[in-house]
Amino acid sequence: MTSDARERLWDTATYLIAIVIAAFFLVPLLWLLSLSLRTRQEVYLGAARFIPKHPTLANFEQILSDPAFITYLWNGLKLSALGGIGCLLVAAPAAYAFSRFHFNSRSSLMMSILAFQMVSPLVILVPLYRYMSTLGLLDGHFGVTMVYIAVSLPMAVWLLKSSIDGIPKSLEEAAEIDGCSRFGIFWRITLPLVAPGLASAFILIMILNWSQFLVPFLLLSTDSKLPISVAIFTFAGTSNASSTQVLAAACLVAVVPAIVAFLLLQRMIVGALTAGAVKG
Amino acid sequence: MTMTGAAVAGGRGDIARTSLRGRIENHPFSWLLPVALLLGVFYLYPIIDVFRLAFTNASLRGGEEHYTADSIHALIANPILLDILWTTFVFTAGSVIGQQLFGLGIAVLVMRGERRRLYGMTALRTIVLIAWVIPGIANGLIWQMLFSEAPFGAINSVLRMMHVQPVAWLSDPNIAMLSSIISNVWRGTAFSMIVFYAALKAIDTTLYEAASVDGANGWQRFRFITLPQMRPAILVNSILITIATLNTFDAIISLTGGGPGRATEVLSLYTFNTVFRNLDLAGGSVLSVLMLIISLLLAVGYASMMPRREPNE
Repeated sequence: MTSDARERLWDTATYLIAIVIAAFFLVPLLWLLSLSLRTRQEVYLGAARFIPKHPTLANFEQILSDPAFITYLWNGLKLSALGGIGCLLVAAPAAYAFSRFHFNSRSSLMMSILAFQMVSPLVILVPLYRYMSTLGLLDGHFGVTMVYIAVSLPMAVWLLKSSIDGIPKSLEEAAEIDGCSRFGIFWRITLPLVAPGLASAFILIMILNWSQFLVPFLLLSTDSKLPISVAIFTFAGTSNASSTQVLAAACLVAVVPAIVAFLLLQRMIVGALTAGAVKG
Repeated sequence: MTMTGAAVAGGRGDIARTSLRGRIENHPFSWLLPVALLLGVFYLYPIIDVFRLAFTNASLRGGEEHYTADSIHALIANPILLDILWTTFVFTAGSVIGQQLFGLGIAVLVMRGERRRLYGMTALRTIVLIAWVIPGIANGLIWQMLFSEAPFGAINSVLRMMHVQPVAWLSDPNIAMLSSIISNVWRGTAFSMIVFYAALKAIDTTLYEAASVDGANGWQRFRFITLPQMRPAILVNSILITIATLNTFDAIISLTGGGPGRATEVLSLYTFNTVFRNLDLAGGSVLSVLMLIISLLLAVGYASMMPRREPNE
């Protein structure tokens, strides 16, 4: 067999394996979609009705017409966005300092910030729960947002530092000659230049905040304050076999925003991840 | 503003150095202050307090608190702890090995596909990555719908159609662990894949050309070039995903809830139950300290296996 023919045989094998892998990763989501489009009767028919014979949007209507469900979605969005904005406000000055100042402890400080990333939120929530209860911060969105900000800070500082590293210093130097203050330079020159980096960090942090479960689960108790991640868990606890199709629809609605945000920014997210990996 | 002689002579830079505002603006620590405050309040202080609480009898029920080593003794004497640690080890090892092997396989496949300009390689990468952004809670619920023994359970209903005996994916203690690992590998593989993909792209292609000239076959090229070149990436990735798996909580609580029995109750879930179900703050703090120590030991262990940098690097 010539080497060309062998390569083509390997191409076929590559396609076959790729299809199996794609199926493994897609089938769970397709199954969720399939269940969410079924009537209660068809749910009981299992895999025989992978493509429902009588597809219905009734399950989506049921959850999206429920004001409580809309509140959960809104809470999820609000907490993710506030956490994202707050995180960038705190992280950006630090990232600027790590990028533009030269001081002795710089790299050791950056490493210690990264070390916090390794600590499970559960560990810090054990004592935090009691403080926040003393301070009256339990069951409020303010307390949850502050913890979200802290949890995503290490990653944000690292992402923004590498974005700021990527923009030339010449404009900042020109502004300095014109008598602009250091903070003025940061606010009027550096931040606008690094806007794409800020936007991508914001979306990535929002996706992670959207998935956040432990923090709101522990710190919030009033039903109308819960974000969607906690709400679907509670809903799953109360649902039974006859409402599986509704749970599937709720799950899908909770998952789709994260997938859409990811698909829109895939190139950037993959870029940020691989940049970190190569440096690692 | 008063003009000093130095400022007139030296221009703006000297004002910046002498005025208070300038000194604050030019000191890096003032820029780091917000981060330091937040991490101090929400990480450093709680971590210190976890160590302190481990030596008390604190409870979320309230009551008088005093320092004692009883909580630590109670934990060491607790026969459940060994089972929990074993469960955690199996879950973590299975997930980490599964994610890395699978992630490496997909990365190699995508690289080969791209080299041969095959269709759909970006699509494959995207499909794998989508699982990564699924929230942990949803991950558990989705896999429950796949593993379920009820009629709507995807895997068992396919098995029934093929006249194969259904499997007790979530109710058999031995299989439940495997099911948990599968669902965790599904969600986590993307991260390893993308790290390995980046590392593969960074390998100098002349190494492979030289190996081909020397008559190395595909396996030999992989074994003696690819793997050694990827060693740093594999180690860094191991640290990150081992600690991420150790901290996994939401995906397990929504898939099995730790059951059946304690079959899938990993350390993070056990810690959670100790503090927030049994309200035993001191006992949970001892477990938290244990989690921190395990993470630290693992990170140090992996780091010590890192190759030393060459002098010319």
